[in-house]
Amino acid sequence: MYAVELENISKTFSGGVQANRNITLRIKKGEVHGLLGENGAGKSTLMNVLYGLLQSDDGRIIVNGSEVRFNSPHDAIAQKIGMVHQHFKLIPTLTVAENVVLGMEPKSSKPTKSGLGTIVLLSAFSIILMGLFLPVEQALLGALILLLSVVILYHIFRMTNPSERLGLNRLGRLGFVLEQIGSIIATLSQNLMPIGYGDAIEKIKHIAEENGLDIDPMAKVEDISVGLQQRVEIIKTLYREADILILDEPTSVLTPQEVDELFVTLERFREAGKTIILITHKLREPMALCDRISVLRDGELVGTVEKAGTSPEELAQMMVGRLVVFRVEKTPAAPSDVVLDVKNLEVLDNRNLLTVKGISIQVRSGEILGIAGVQGNGQTELVEAIVGLRKLKSGSVRIAGDDITGASPRKVRAVGVSHIPEDRQKRGLVLGFTVEENLALGQQYLAPYAKGPLTLFLDLESIQNISQETIDNHSIKVLSSKSLASTLSGGNQQKVIVARELGTKPRLLIAAQPTRGLDVGATEFIHKELISMRDAGVAILLVSAELDEIQTLSDRIAVIFDGKIMAIRNPAETTPNELGLLMAGHESNLEEVSA
Amino acid sequence: MTEFPSTGEGTSEQGTAKGGESNPVGYLSGAPQAIIAKLTDSRFQKQVIWTIASIILALLVSAVIMTMAGYDAGRAFAYLLVGALREPGRVLQFATPLILTGLAVALAFKCGLFNIGAEGQLYIGSMAAAVVGFTISWPYLAHPILCLFVAAICGGIYGLIPGLLLAYRGAHEVVTTMMLSYAAIALTTWLVGPNGFWMDTAGSELIPQTPLLQDTAILPTIGGPYLHWGIFVAILAVFVVDYLINRTVLGYEMRAVGLNRDAAEYAGINSKKNVALTLTFSGALAGLAGGGEIMGTYNRFIHRWSPGLGWDGITVAVLGGNNPWGVLGGAIFFAALRVGGNAMQMDAHVPIEMVSVIQGLIVLFVAAPRAIMWMQNRGVEYVEWVKSEEKLPLDHLFGIISSLVGVFISFGLVSASTGNLLLSVSLLLVGVVAIAAFAIFLAKRRYILPIFTILSIAWLLTALVSFFTGILLVTVIAGVMGLLSITDLLLLRRRYQDRNIVKEAES
Repeated sequence: MYAVELENISKTFSGGVQANRNITLRIKKGEVHGLLGENGAGKSTLMNVLYGLLQSDDGRIIVNGSEVRFNSPHDAIAQKIGMVHQHFKLIPTLTVAENVVLGMEPKSSKPTKSGLGTIVLLSAFSIILMGLFLPVEQALLGALILLLSVVILYHIFRMTNPSERLGLNRLGRLGFVLEQIGSIIATLSQNLMPIGYGDAIEKIKHIAEENGLDIDPMAKVEDISVGLQQRVEIIKTLYREADILILDEPTSVLTPQEVDELFVTLERFREAGKTIILITHKLREPMALCDRISVLRDGELVGTVEKAGTSPEELAQMMVGRLVVFRVEKTPAAPSDVVLDVKNLEVLDNRNLLTVKGISIQVRSGEILGIAGVQGNGQTELVEAIVGLRKLKSGSVRIAGDDITGASPRKVRAVGVSHIPEDRQKRGLVLGFTVEENLALGQQYLAPYAKGPLTLFLDLESIQNISQETIDNHSIKVLSSKSLASTLSGGNQQKVIVARELGTKPRLLIAAQPTRGLDVGATEFIHKELISMRDAGVAILLVSAELDEIQTLSDRIAVIFDGKIMAIRNPAETTPNELGLLMAGHESNLEEVSA
Repeated sequence: MTEFPSTGEGTSEQGTAKGGESNPVGYLSGAPQAIIAKLTDSRFQKQVIWTIASIILALLVSAVIMTMAGYDAGRAFAYLLVGALREPGRVLQFATPLILTGLAVALAFKCGLFNIGAEGQLYIGSMAAAVVGFTISWPYLAHPILCLFVAAICGGIYGLIPGLLLAYRGAHEVVTTMMLSYAAIALTTWLVGPNGFWMDTAGSELIPQTPLLQDTAILPTIGGPYLHWGIFVAILAVFVVDYLINRTVLGYEMRAVGLNRDAAEYAGINSKKNVALTLTFSGALAGLAGGGEIMGTYNRFIHRWSPGLGWDGITVAVLGGNNPWGVLGGAIFFAALRVGGNAMQMDAHVPIEMVSVIQGLIVLFVAAPRAIMWMQNRGVEYVEWVKSEEKLPLDHLFGIISSLVGVFISFGLVSASTGNLLLSVSLLLVGVVAIAAFAIFLAKRRYILPIFTILSIAWLLTALVSFFTGILLVTVIAGVMGLLSITDLLLLRRRYQDRNIVKEAES
């Protein structure tokens, strides 16, 4: 028995990108099905078709054996399909309960007396109005019609039984007509009612308890952590009684602990007989959790495999279409002069709390210093302070001897600092710009991007030529260099940023989460670029939440916890275990381990 | 999806491919190439087509309104067109300030800012031009240039104030520019009033206005009594703004700040400076518009002289898609509407206010392209659905056609029900319900049955009302429509009931 069958789904976007090509996917009832693929392989598109957000050009959707047609998520929810998006669809200023019930605010199921009363009042009001503005006989006629309709409506109100089917009323055909009006009146009167949150909160608490999703329904969404927000999204689907759950990249925003908790929850769902579809580009997750795994590449289904019969290597090969080397080859570092010299840096965060508490680090030319740490321990503020985006409270920053403490971002860039920001859509790109305009960002006022006296004018031709070259060299998938950046997939957006920042020939490269949300192929590419930059004598400060990445790339690892550097380790002499303990702030254990 | 975007995409690809090939060869022909690339760009084409479609829709709707009010729509449109065509000089004269204020709003919008206060900057600019125009004696040619320059500077400074407030204090520009524009109108009225410095005391009646400008400061007219040299200033401004936005580093930085301030700051762009500069340029353009009008049309500053040119600039910018060339076209179009509107009032006896209605409808449709997109998509889907049915779904087709026809009939009958409020209201209600029914039929939503029920009942009630008020024509038409709808309703009901039964049998 299949829960969902997608047959020959094809989807082409108006820009001409064919996201899905003739995909046929069958998902068994009660299984955890992994949907694996690189960025832009068409995973999210396929699931958005299933969830009714997009309509396929071709093909059929069959849910629990019967064919369905989804015009909107409403239709999908009615078929007990729920989806948790990668970027949560929550309203930060509302409470958890309000967010959960959003779109299906609890109302009484029958037309209420007060609803009817409202309508009677409105009619009376219109009668008075008519009396004021119309000649006597017309007003009387109008009042008669209105009164008649109110009386009829009242009878309908008494007769209407929501469980009764269309047209099978006692009154026959007339009854059917009246019933249609009755249902409209019922909807109207329901919508005039205040929302009853009491029941909703009880129900949310019940759902939370039953599934081990501990949450406070009255908390505001903006006050809770990302992991809890995801929990709200899951509860939202359960509140709508979803049996088929789609999770789009659920782990990309979570800390390792939160990922573990999520896996426990999903395990519980599987036991409860729910069907789960897990979209991911990471190999570890499907291997840990899924029963079967389908791999998409370039909009086509490569194949569906049982977990038992496969390996990460095979999956990676299916995803990328070639063999993937997980370990990047690199020679020992040859560090020379100090490029970045940070001394006793103290920085405040947006809430004016001291977040970076006296950090001193040095990065030499030709080495990669990795900063490992759980998100929110001051990495963001540290990087922003170095590049001039955030005021620093005290301390100093020098680049190859130049004092850039408190300098503007432009000055910092001018002394040879490149920066791959951690949030590519917020900081890294102007989404409303074309790809070539984005590739010029930061150097728009310098030759060869600008020309003329005082380089006041853009050199559009050279911008286009340089962009075309960059797009070819970095194999960025884009229709034309004049396409808007917002039309690119996440991985290709990141490639644009990396290409731009490496293209400035920097002395220091600050790479914050350079491969977040990227697939195996793109990650490999960026890792190779970073290593070759290092070998060319660039100093690299790498900030990443992925311990694997830090260990693979770094020549030295600095562990950050609570705004302080806990220790600096040599990757060859440390273990993930030790780093994990340091990241959690266990200083006492640290001595035991290092001793 | 639909036919149109895919073909548009195809041509754009060919266009860029051609451009790429001929690039090394035809090095000299850079500018025409850029224009060709622009014309073949699918986004640009789509916008143009949407704008034209919106204008047509707006004209259709206003035709319905005119018919409802008992005017002859065909005659009105004919005079609208003729009136605009026989006085091109007037049209361009009207267009001159609209181009500049439209550019002011469009420039700010391109950089992510809403300059609602072009009206105020216009007043300040016109005041400055007038003062320089009558107090100073400069030679011909130099004097007007000086006046326009001062007008632009003063307008710019008046734009800089909200710019600084936004950049350094975070005061929202919509609020500040709007408030400052009322302040500007009041300030200039005071300056030329009995207590101000620049009131004209020569005349016998004391109207709040400045003395006439010196002859040297007045912009000469071209080929007739109306059109003046300001039009060249306006067209030059179109070039300058286009160049500034798209081809200079400053324009690039202003746009970057407008689209994504965080990313701009990350890239080392000073967002505060750019925000302030954007509003300064925008204000300067509005000031220039005011100065040009004073020097070319009014010849002196009269209190509250502007018929809302600054506000119209917003409309023009919307119609022009915030593109300088679009603004040029939009301003000329609106000016033609105004001039044609006069002819329409004189010869077709349709009040000139109708022009404002048309303008408003155009903006409504342009600003809401989704309405047109929705109709386009649903229409294509509907046709495909009809094709895919085994039997022609006559009941459904009849429903959709009768509701569409019903829209026109009901609105058309409103003028026949003159003097009878109840009947007019019920006809209007029928019209609105018919529009809703049409939309729901098109989208094949599940509310078809109830909405069609209401529609047929509404027709019958209308027939009843008109019967009692003694208008037989309406009674017959509404009665026939109502009976036809009820018959169709019963057919439709069987269709949906059969569906339900089939579904039940399946499960």
